[in-house]
Amino acid sequence: MEYKDYYQALGVEKTATQDEIKKAYRKLVRQYHPDVSKHKDADARTKEINEAYDVLGDPEKRAAYDELGRGHRPGQGFQPPPDWGTQFDFGGADANDFFNDLFAHVGKRSRAGAHGGAHGAHAGAGGGGFQMPGEDIHAAIAIDLRDAYQGATRTVSLRVPQHDAQGRTTMQDKTLSVNIPKGVTPGQQLRMRGQGHPGVKGGPAGDLYLEIQLNSDPRYRVEGTQVYQDVPVTPWEAALGASISVPTPSGTVEVTVPPGSQTGRKLRLKGRGIPAKTPGDLYLMLNVVLPPATSDRARELYQAMARDLAFNPRDRIGA
Amino acid sequence: MHDDILTGVLLDDVALTLDELARACNVETEWVVRHVQAGVLGGETSVQVTSWRFRSGDLARARRLLSVERDFDANEDLAALVVDMADEIRRLRAHMRVLGIER
Repeated sequence: MEYKDYYQALGVEKTATQDEIKKAYRKLVRQYHPDVSKHKDADARTKEINEAYDVLGDPEKRAAYDELGRGHRPGQGFQPPPDWGTQFDFGGADANDFFNDLFAHVGKRSRAGAHGGAHGAHAGAGGGGFQMPGEDIHAAIAIDLRDAYQGATRTVSLRVPQHDAQGRTTMQDKTLSVNIPKGVTPGQQLRMRGQGHPGVKGGPAGDLYLEIQLNSDPRYRVEGTQVYQDVPVTPWEAALGASISVPTPSGTVEVTVPPGSQTGRKLRLKGRGIPAKTPGDLYLMLNVVLPPATSDRARELYQAMARDLAFNPRDRIGA
Repeated sequence: MHDDILTGVLLDDVALTLDELARACNVETEWVVRHVQAGVLGGETSVQVTSWRFRSGDLARARRLLSVERDFDANEDLAALVVDMADEIRRLRAHMRVLGIER
């Protein structure tokens, strides 16, 4: 296990007050928020910052972390002592982090949220012998556009706590094969019952929620169920009209390019977007591409056009 | 390794109840009710509370509202404004990608 310095992650001293930690966290959250940040590693930094604050923002967890981390530096190999942590009791934080690995052997008795407020509802009252349902897990699964068109089976890896008969908890890697239904769109949530955190004292397991995300593909842009695709055409196909073959996410289709087309013209193929309950449309965005004038013959042809076609594309701007 | 292939349900096919949404967000049902009644959280909420239903977008929005409220001690109106603006940024960016302005 590699030691993680949460103080360094938040850029605060080990002696920082809770207020200073909160201020540092908020500043970093704003700086690396994926919606506004230009940093390439904004997502990774946000995760790191959240993980650090989840521990340092909670005085009890922070005390345990401080106790454990004395004398360790970031990146150093690290192994907690075998009887370490028995005086602490935590639960409820995200599973996939260093802190929970440290506390993996500690019995889970309470589920109090780390930040109070709205966070800790079902959690609140701990409860020695009470049955409690396991927490739900939220994760994302990235699929290709083709998977959304055809459906697929994809795997997702999670790090989840497992309780043994003595009520102890260990962190385990869990790989699930998930059926991705045909017609899913980005942002949809797939609910897998009973695949969340295990319940406590025989309580039911939580659920797993997977948010569908699409891997970016330079060929396509997706907006809901609508799909947009650039289609290069020659000047003569655009000018004279043509029937062309276009590979699309649902297979190759024959498309009629109307005469007089220009770059930017949209051809709508109804129902060939993502095949959701109400299927989206596929828009082919025509892009007229000029042949290079790299041969004598090509230059002759361009010169003939220049001579024979009285064409001024700038007449509308007064040139 | 898990050999079984799991089949889930899309929240847009089988929506969440009020209790299920609250549990998925790790909040009390009162939190959800308050946000629905304040008009900052949607869902099919025109009938009795027991019949309320929430779909993918509602779950995502509820979790984002919670995140802003928690991270910044923001009140629900301010959190809703932040989430609305972030949604608008995402919508505009998606539209720019469609137009080929941003890849």
